[in-house]
This record gives sequence, C-alpha cells and structure tokens, in this order.
Amino acid sequence: MGQAIVTAVLVDEAALTLEELAQACAVEPDWVVQHVRTGVLLQDAPAHISGWRFSSADLVRARRLCQVERTFDANDDVAALVVDLSEEISRLRGKLSAAGVR
Amino acid sequence: MEYKDYYQTLGVAKTASEEEIKKAYRKLVRKYHPDVSKEADAQKKTQEINEAYGVLGDAEKRAAYDDLGRGQQYRAGQEFRPPPDWGRGFGGNGGGGGFGGGGGPMDSDFFADLFANLGGGRRRQQAPRRGEDSHASITIELGDSYHGATRTVSLMVAERDAQDRIVTRERNLSVNIPKGVTPGQQLRLAGQGQPGAAGPGDLYLEIQFRPNPRYRLDGRDVYQTVPVAPWELALGGEIEVTTPSGKVNVTVPAGSQSGRKLRLRGRGIPGKEAGDLYLLLEVVLPPANSERARDLYQTMARELAFNPRAGG
Repeated sequence: MGQAIVTAVLVDEAALTLEELAQACAVEPDWVVQHVRTGVLLQDAPAHISGWRFSSADLVRARRLCQVERTFDANDDVAALVVDLSEEISRLRGKLSAAGVR
Repeated sequence: MEYKDYYQTLGVAKTASEEEIKKAYRKLVRKYHPDVSKEADAQKKTQEINEAYGVLGDAEKRAAYDDLGRGQQYRAGQEFRPPPDWGRGFGGNGGGGGFGGGGGPMDSDFFADLFANLGGGRRRQQAPRRGEDSHASITIELGDSYHGATRTVSLMVAERDAQDRIVTRERNLSVNIPKGVTPGQQLRLAGQGQPGAAGPGDLYLEIQFRPNPRYRLDGRDVYQTVPVAPWELALGGEIEVTTPSGKVNVTVPAGSQSGRKLRLRGRGIPGKEAGDLYLLLEVVLPPANSERARDLYQTMARELAFNPRAGG
C-alpha cells in the first residue's frame, strides 16, 4: 500500500556490459573474457571488448557455466558441453510442450 | 516455517568436511537430475538438494545454519521458530539457482534464502566494491506479459548486525513487469541486491509463467486449444474465443476437421516482433444422454452414410 514501484529493466533491452555480467555471476571479468574468447559465451562477439553486450540468455548461460565449473570442478570445455546439452534438452522440452506433449 | 535438516538431505554427518559435502551433492544431483532421472519426484528432490548444497556448500552460510540449530536440536519437518531477536518474518532472495533445478521461485519456501546474503563472494575483495548481485525468479501470469503489470515480491533478508548476530529484515518490492516479457528473460532491479562498501548490488529476477492448461508457449507464439461443437466445424461460422488478449470473434471455415489450426497473426506475446496465436480446434461431442439427443445421432447415422474408416 503506497509502496514505491521499483523500476525493473529488461536485460534484453539494456544488455549487460562485460563488467556487469561479471558482477552478476560473481566472477572476475577475466573469466568472462576467457569464455568469450573460446566461443563458449557470446558467439559472434565483436572483436573489441567494449562492444560486447550480454542478453538474458547469456546471463543464464554464464551462471550455469559457473555453477558446473565450481560444483564439479569441471574444465571450460566439459562445462560448456554440459550446458549445451542442458539447453538443448530445455529447447526440445519446450517444443514438446508447445505441441501439447507432456 | 518448517525446519529443514540439510545434512539429512545430503546424507552427510554434521561434521562432514567440505569435500564430503561436495561429493555427496554431486552424487545426488546426478541421481535426481530431472533431465536424466526416472524418479517420480526428481524435480522436487533436485530442488531440495540444490537448496541444501546452496547452504552447506558455502562455509559462511553453513556456519550461520549451524548457529540456527544450536541449542534447539531441531529435527527435519519440525516447526521452526526463529529466535525473538531475529525480527519479524523471513524470506530471501532466491539463492543462486542450483544445477538442473533452477532457482527457487520467490513464492516458494524461503528457508534457504535466509542465508543468501551471508555467503562469501568468490571474487577477491581488494578494494571496496559494490555488494553482490542477487538472483531470484518471479512467477507471473501469461496475461501480465500481454498487458504489462505491477507485482509485489517479498524479500526477507538475513544480515549480520554490528554484534555479528543474524538479523532479518523484510523488504517488499513493487516491480513493474514490462509488456512482452517471455519466460527465462531477466529483469534487472538496480541497487536492490546485497549491500556493499561501494553501494548495493543489483537484483535479477528471472521471469517464469504460471502453468496454465489453456495455453502453451513456443517463444512468442501461443497455442490455445479451443473446444468446438461438431456443427461449428462442419458448417463453419463465427465463434467467440477468449484469448490472452481478450475476446475475439474467429471465423471457422466450413468443413474443418478437429485438430485444425487457425493462426491469428500478431496475437501472441507482444514485442517488436509479436508472436502469433494458434487456435487448435478440438471437437467436443454433445452427450447422447437424452431421448432427443439419441434420436438426432440415430438420424445422422441413418442419413449421412458416413464411415470415418472408409479410407482404410
């Protein structure tokens, strides 16, 4: 009642910078740079770091990568493979759901 | 609030080492991961395991959790009464989102989230920095995405006070839900994360839609099953349909079959490229539960000479 409304901004409309993504994932910016350079994050990234912008999907993916790396002591490649498979399963499940298949 | 024994959830002793906890978590999360597990309650189990590991896997949160049970000897499932100096109410900021189970929604059990603010950062803290960003999810209705909305979320945050005691504070935030959001998108609330020497972090809310048996989603496209009478399909005509954006009149082409899909362009989830709404026509037969109804069916059977299996 009478409570101020906090303005929420959709990440996809104000995409995150490298530093913002690092802060959101509680990692050093170097971690992000390394994962972009190896193609795990932000495919087709502009050459210059200042041009990198990250969407909602990038944020979710980056957090999942962190989680897998930390929890399972996985290296970058294994973590990327796990997250790729996980995303593919989600995508297929979404298709099944849209088709009315449980 | 129900006390949860996180040690029991992970099947480890209270004296378990960090490594033992991690090992137990890995084993359980592989067993119950919803993408691979055949267990009926895999999703729920994974959430519980993630919640337990979210606390026990972090030294500071684990210490705070151990502090909680000390002296009271709570058992799993027992009603949990927080100490009087904990202030009123509880809740949290959704934790970090476990592996395979997603983060806890804002309206779910907040027990683990009591500790969300107490965890140590994984970054090296050299100079005064902003507080950590927090992550949670918010569940909305499909209609909220069509029209935009304001929704209140309750956050109860545990912090350490000047005497290093755990205290909680309730925060209610009214959040604007922008029109056109889709599941999985992230809302960023600047300055609503954890406090820090150089200012608070941000709060990220992941959008989730409350499941609705009437609608299914594929990106921005929405699928809706519409029950129709046999004569509406056979004869065609205009029918009124309640869609997520309101009532619309739709023309059913004569001679339609059950399962026919009608596309209403641009009536899916709004956006720069709005999705489409697909109406799936599904015939519903009137019951033959009266003399009159049976007569009508018998007349059709006699006079239509229709065999749906005639083609083989």
